[in-house]
Amino acid sequence: MRGFVNGLIRLRRGPWETVATVLIAAGVVMLMQPFALAAYTWSFAVTLTGTVMFIVVSHFPE
Amino acid sequence: MTDDIISRERAAAPGALRRRIGGLSDRALAWIFIVPTILLLLAINIFPLIWTIRLSLTNYRANRTNAELEWVGLRNYERILTDPDIWNSMQATAHFLVWTLVFQVLIGFSLAYLINKKFKGNDLWTTIIVLPMMLSPAVVGNFWTFLYQPQIGLFNYVVAFVSGVDPSSFSMIGDVRLAPWSIVIVDTWMWTPFVMLICLAGLRSIPDYIYEAAEVDRASRWRQFWTITIPMVLPFLMLAVLFRGIENFKMFDLVVQLTGGGPGSITELTSINLKREAFEKWRTGYSSAYAIILFVTVFGLASIYVKALNKVKER
Amino acid sequence: MNHSVTEPSRLQKWCAGILVVGYALVTIMPLAWIIATGFKSPGDAIAYPPKLIYEPTLEGYVNLFTTRSRATPETLAQLGPPETWYDAIVRQYDMVISGPSRYGERFVNSVIIGFGSTFLSIFLGTLAAYAFSRFKVPLKDDLMFFILSTRMMPPIAVAIPIFLMFRQLGLSDTHLGMILLYTAVNLSLSVWLLKGFIDEIPVEYEEAALIDGYTRFQAFYKVVLPQATTGIASTAIFCLIFAWNEYAFAVLLTSGTAQTAPPFIPTIIGVGKDWPAVAAGATLFLVPVMVFTILLRKHLLRGITFGAVRK
Repeated sequence: MRGFVNGLIRLRRGPWETVATVLIAAGVVMLMQPFALAAYTWSFAVTLTGTVMFIVVSHFPE
Repeated sequence: MTDDIISRERAAAPGALRRRIGGLSDRALAWIFIVPTILLLLAINIFPLIWTIRLSLTNYRANRTNAELEWVGLRNYERILTDPDIWNSMQATAHFLVWTLVFQVLIGFSLAYLINKKFKGNDLWTTIIVLPMMLSPAVVGNFWTFLYQPQIGLFNYVVAFVSGVDPSSFSMIGDVRLAPWSIVIVDTWMWTPFVMLICLAGLRSIPDYIYEAAEVDRASRWRQFWTITIPMVLPFLMLAVLFRGIENFKMFDLVVQLTGGGPGSITELTSINLKREAFEKWRTGYSSAYAIILFVTVFGLASIYVKALNKVKER
Repeated sequence: MNHSVTEPSRLQKWCAGILVVGYALVTIMPLAWIIATGFKSPGDAIAYPPKLIYEPTLEGYVNLFTTRSRATPETLAQLGPPETWYDAIVRQYDMVISGPSRYGERFVNSVIIGFGSTFLSIFLGTLAAYAFSRFKVPLKDDLMFFILSTRMMPPIAVAIPIFLMFRQLGLSDTHLGMILLYTAVNLSLSVWLLKGFIDEIPVEYEEAALIDGYTRFQAFYKVVLPQATTGIASTAIFCLIFAWNEYAFAVLLTSGTAQTAPPFIPTIIGVGKDWPAVAAGATLFLVPVMVFTILLRKHLLRGITFGAVRK
């Protein structure tokens, strides 16, 4: 866990990619879940953030 | 004759110089080789994509090209993301996606596990199992409507034979409760081999010595399965799941031929829904925004997919 | 206890074999059924219970390739005895053949568009794959990802602007338009797969050739290409199968002259519920793919994972 936070602070690729992956996954789940309309409404914003983040952080150093 | 002179000169020139005389530099060649591909992809993928983004901010309708174009900002996105009908089709997609993945992973992995027992003739049977995967989904969907016919269809007959119900008493694609399962069954039939092949590659990538070491440690077969087999196959399985997930998220051809989205709109997956908006109701601006939402989702999943791909490649 | 621990026992092999063979038989049944239906008469095709044993007939195939019209007994009497075997089949139903159906044309369209786009995507793909494999290209990973991502796009989402673009350029419903489109879709596959194949060819061969006085291009053409033939051939088959099977773009962007077989086959059924003709059409369309799949079996895994898993 400490390594993960450290990696975030030092802008390392690995942990940031994990964050972006989680965001994308969350967005996809929000898009298709049958429970809350509000979650569906905000899903696109979450996915978009995750995707853009993924593209950016994949250029961080290992 | 001249050829001779050139080649003699080339032989005489040292290293880098020789290469320059003999033709283009590596860098120039690299660009000449890559640029046509990039240009074609820009023209047929990126340019349309940018156009779609632009259209998604307007109220454009492709069947009324001389109507006045109005900029509506993010209104299209807002309307789609609050529309319960589109939300419904997302849920239909989710049902399809989740169950096809569950069945394909369970059956696909089990088959791979069995084939990996290396019984006689396993190559031949693997090839037979793989056949449905490569066929045209639209044609497959079309002929499954025949197999699903209430009385005369083979599927209904076999189900009736096994379970004893009357083969004309149920209609897989006409019944609201059964239709969502009818598409799951066909997709599972078609794509289980895909998951199976990838799992098989995963199983075959596990070196024997790991099991031998576990045997020395007196680990039970059950324990070996959960601590060696599953973790080693997992990256491969992830790859298969992501790929099938992306493919089924945008599923169109198979289902459109099989049920056409019906009965009602019970099997109307997002792509079918989008096709209706774009090419039947001609709400081009609105459906462009819809397309962008699907596209961003797929693009996000694709980046995860490539990450998984590289992980497997390292093995 | 001296057998290898990883070698399954005889009993295990037998059980595994029986289960897998069972699954294979079930999975092959729908395909076998369609092929069989193609040789049934319309009556046999809708018989209940489904007929396993029947008298094979080529009626489905005759109906697939012809259009027929009903003839009065007088006209039939005038025509005299049927001249060919397919005339004879049609006459049983008091019909005469009035011309060829569209199936042949659609099939030919599939062939033209399939081979055209395969050739183009292999040509461009080989060049790009070689460059990506051997040269230092700036932003290589991003370009490779960009190329792959084009394949992931949902066809319907891309179809809207392409529809508009083709309308503007006069490419809708033309062979050229479809060839370009399928080339663009297949390029990602061909670049990724071919890069994998070219990566496997040792660089030493080319270096030797360069020292012998070949130019880079000659080294590519005379040393690398011959080594990559298997890879190129299997990539080509994958591209061909994709273009052959594609439906979404075809149904949205073509309607007549350039329509391929997949959007056409479902329309064969018509009003008469002529299942044998549909089955015949599907059989003729699917069998080539099955043959190719069997030929490809060694490279199948590679093809479906964009070259990532090599076995």
